[in-house]
Amino acid sequence: MKRVIRFNLNGEDIEAYAPENMTILDFLRKEMHLTGTKRGCEEGECGACTIMLDGKPIAACLMLAVEADGHSVVTIEGIMRGGRLHPVQQEFIDKWALQCGFCTPGMILSAIALLEHNPQPSEYEIRDAIAGNLCRCTGYAKIVEAIASAAEVLRKGA
Amino acid sequence: MALTSKEYYAEIEKVYKKPEDYELAGKGNGYVRVDAEAKVTGRALYTDDIDLPGMYYCKLVRSPYAHARILSIDCSEALALPGVKAVLTGKDFPEGHNLGNPEAFKELADKEPLCREKVRMVGDEVAAVCAISEELAEEASSLVKVEYEVLPAVIDPFEAMAQDAPAVHYPDTNNISMYTTMVAGEPDKAFAEADYTDKYYYKTQQMVHAAIEPHGATAKYENGEFTIWTTTQGAYVSRFWIAWGLGVPESAVRVIKPSLGGGFGGKLDAFAHELCPAKFAQITGHPVKCILKRDEVFLGTRTRHPIAFEIETAFTKEGKLLAKRCKHVLDGGAYGGSGIAANALSLICATFPYKVDNIDMTARRPYTNKPASGAMRGYSACQVHFAHDVHIDEVADALGIDPLELRRKNGITPYYTGPTGLQYTTCAFDETLAECANAVKWAARDELGEGEGIGLAGSGFMSGTGFPVLITPHYASSSTMVRLNREGYATVFTGANDIGQGSDTVMTMVVAEELGLRMDEVKCVQSDTTLTPWDAGSFGSRVTFLGGNAARRAVGDAKLKLLSHWADEWGCRPEDISMKDHRVFAGGDAEKNISFSEACFGYEEKNFGRCVSGVGSFAHEGDKDIYVKNRGNYAPAYSFSASAAKVKVDLETGEIDVQDFIFGHDCGRPLNIRAVEGQIEGSVLLGLGFTCFEECLYGEDGRHRNPTFRDYRFPTALDMPSIKSITCGQPDPEGPMGAKEAGEGSTAPVGPAIGIAINRATGLKFHSLPITSEKIWRALKEHEATGRVHFGDEGLAEKFAAVPQMRNVRHESTD
Ligand code: FES
Ligand code: FES
Repeated sequence: MKRVIRFNLNGEDIEAYAPENMTILDFLRKEMHLTGTKRGCEEGECGACTIMLDGKPIAACLMLAVEADGHSVVTIEGIMRGGRLHPVQQEFIDKWALQCGFCTPGMILSAIALLEHNPQPSEYEIRDAIAGNLCRCTGYAKIVEAIASAAEVLRKGA
Repeated sequence: MALTSKEYYAEIEKVYKKPEDYELAGKGNGYVRVDAEAKVTGRALYTDDIDLPGMYYCKLVRSPYAHARILSIDCSEALALPGVKAVLTGKDFPEGHNLGNPEAFKELADKEPLCREKVRMVGDEVAAVCAISEELAEEASSLVKVEYEVLPAVIDPFEAMAQDAPAVHYPDTNNISMYTTMVAGEPDKAFAEADYTDKYYYKTQQMVHAAIEPHGATAKYENGEFTIWTTTQGAYVSRFWIAWGLGVPESAVRVIKPSLGGGFGGKLDAFAHELCPAKFAQITGHPVKCILKRDEVFLGTRTRHPIAFEIETAFTKEGKLLAKRCKHVLDGGAYGGSGIAANALSLICATFPYKVDNIDMTARRPYTNKPASGAMRGYSACQVHFAHDVHIDEVADALGIDPLELRRKNGITPYYTGPTGLQYTTCAFDETLAECANAVKWAARDELGEGEGIGLAGSGFMSGTGFPVLITPHYASSSTMVRLNREGYATVFTGANDIGQGSDTVMTMVVAEELGLRMDEVKCVQSDTTLTPWDAGSFGSRVTFLGGNAARRAVGDAKLKLLSHWADEWGCRPEDISMKDHRVFAGGDAEKNISFSEACFGYEEKNFGRCVSGVGSFAHEGDKDIYVKNRGNYAPAYSFSASAAKVKVDLETGEIDVQDFIFGHDCGRPLNIRAVEGQIEGSVLLGLGFTCFEECLYGEDGRHRNPTFRDYRFPTALDMPSIKSITCGQPDPEGPMGAKEAGEGSTAPVGPAIGIAINRATGLKFHSLPITSEKIWRALKEHEATGRVHFGDEGLAEKFAAVPQMRNVRHESTD
């Protein structure tokens, strides 16, 4: 069974048919062709599918598409501003905070969600905020560094 | 007479940039990864992101039993489901075309694309279904009825070698898939004359790669050609086995490696999930995708070999290592594939980083009814260096010698030749030890508090392994082509497979450096068997070394042509001309220079419009026999590392806190310090996971008990210590721009450093991995009650005593 859902996706109000048993992860990837959100485990453990739901990071593999009805969803494809990279994205590039990049979209969304409510996080708070995002490549060191430095950039910009 | 390779390359080397002129190599933050923007924006395409019009989906049907005979397979119900397009079973693939890994040992290939008569592990693939959606394919797979006769399974590698054990593959072989020996010098004499001898036992567990991207493939069939996008670490090797498994010529198969979400050795083998969608694409005329679920990755791909060790050493009382005897038993799981190199590697790794002239070593790799073991980052080295280096610490205590001193006294020195012919080049092992000791405050270790401990460990690794994965003119090569474009840029076609480590960036950098171009003026075309030249794949820490050298030779070849042309025009020698800032400068005359584009244009005008292009190839010069005889040089260079860990163990609860981690790595000239640090930091994560977290658990029936990230835990950002990386050593003359490897060797000393630190912190001796908080807690309790000190080696002496002498071995390699 499909249902009509209306929600805000990356700043745009959309209306779509979603199968009732489809996760928002599959909906974004298969129906919306937004493949930046990754499938790593589909059991809520790796964080590769992290998206923002009303500003909070959530595992898209654990949520049904129909549950997005009336909410706002932001994916990795929706965080650039005016064609420019978000400071968190820029810092990930500059600090070499990625290797295979498969965890990167989820990591970045967790980081942005953190910085939106905590502009000056401690190292522990950064690590805590990304503890649900597994990375097998980097050992997290450069990711933590990139998020700390993005916080600084954002603070200076504000 | 034809030029020798030395003469040929000497010409090219003349136009190489001099180290003092490097603008990119070794310059840290001077540039960023070429794939970084695509990855932070979510635009990078991984295998699962490839969506083609009319796509169908494939799902594999897997065995629920560890060992069983297949009596019948009934697909009729699955086929009757609307939307199901086709099914496959073992007989749809040509008989005898088994999948393996090294082509040179094709007779050892033992994995049927889909099992025909027998399943050998839980998760073994018996059938495949193809449907119009993933959900439907999943549903249809559950409708395939397979009738099994369950057979007794062998789960323990020692039991597998027993006379009466059920045969996983071949009867009367003690289930041994590979038996390897390595002997040199006069070990018996050395043992007889030694002041000190000992015998210890160690054991490591089964671990998995756990790349965050699951394995998968997307295939299409057009004009008689299969195109397969797959999660591979080696497009060419995948192509070979896919073609072989399908029974078609290699020219009918194109393999493309899209962005890869981590490999760590787990994506080297060929799998059913690559062959089945290909076959379905041919049958249905539609593109077909097959992406594994996480539990399938655990069950049906590859794992790290668990190894049990018996180690005997002989020392003088002053602490000189005289001889080593050891027996390694590697749990091979159900299949060979990339796993057949594990034996030899385990023995080779046991001959460094300490000099030992007299050795007598064997390795046995029995099959068991568990997921197949294969290559994993720090292949065999992580397990071997854990056992052998924890052992060194025990020797130090027994001899009353400072463990640091004992290591430094025996450590390998530059240009040493090992007892079986390994030829070391540069070697800063001593410096890595000294730097780590210094940074961790080794000298002040007596001042540590209760429950605190420092561990120091060392290791080495081959840089640029030449394992003969496919038969090639040289047995494992990397090839590259470079084209200079008159519009002001260059294109590099590299066969190197970027699996996340950043090889595309390395190849781009090497070309940009030599041509005086910016990074974004070099376009990188990578790992596509139709577009890019031959490469053996990403394994054996060979990519930067071999691929980097190949790229440099290719750009050197192009550069020599271009500069020779301009040398004629300007009346100078090619080596007098330099390329910098997008310009070409005549030697000594700063006024006389033209742009890169003009230079290319001028060349083309004189050469009937032909563009400037270069080809380059690199192979480790050696004798293929070493893989059978274990004698000779294994790699063109070797990296060395040391690690120091400071831990605090809560003596009440057993909780482990790794407070500090220092890594000293000799990788020659680090081509990019951020990239090298990234490799080290990632290595520490794998090493910490290996030492304190990760283990695949099995029931008696061979069922995997924790095939999820919830139950198979590895370090999160909160678990990781702060890491200090120290690069040591000198540029290596063999390496590209002086570089050695920094990807695999860096994983090896982490385990022993943490293990030893825990031993020091608790006063106990842990001999098996993982050392979890729970195990520490139990051991502390038992120590209190009984005074016992050694843990984790229980029963191993008896098991090793019962290990069969070898006979009827299917494949033996020995010297
Ligand atoms: S895919 Fe959702 S948490 Fe792993
Ligand atoms: S960069 Fe590979 S998983 Fe994080």
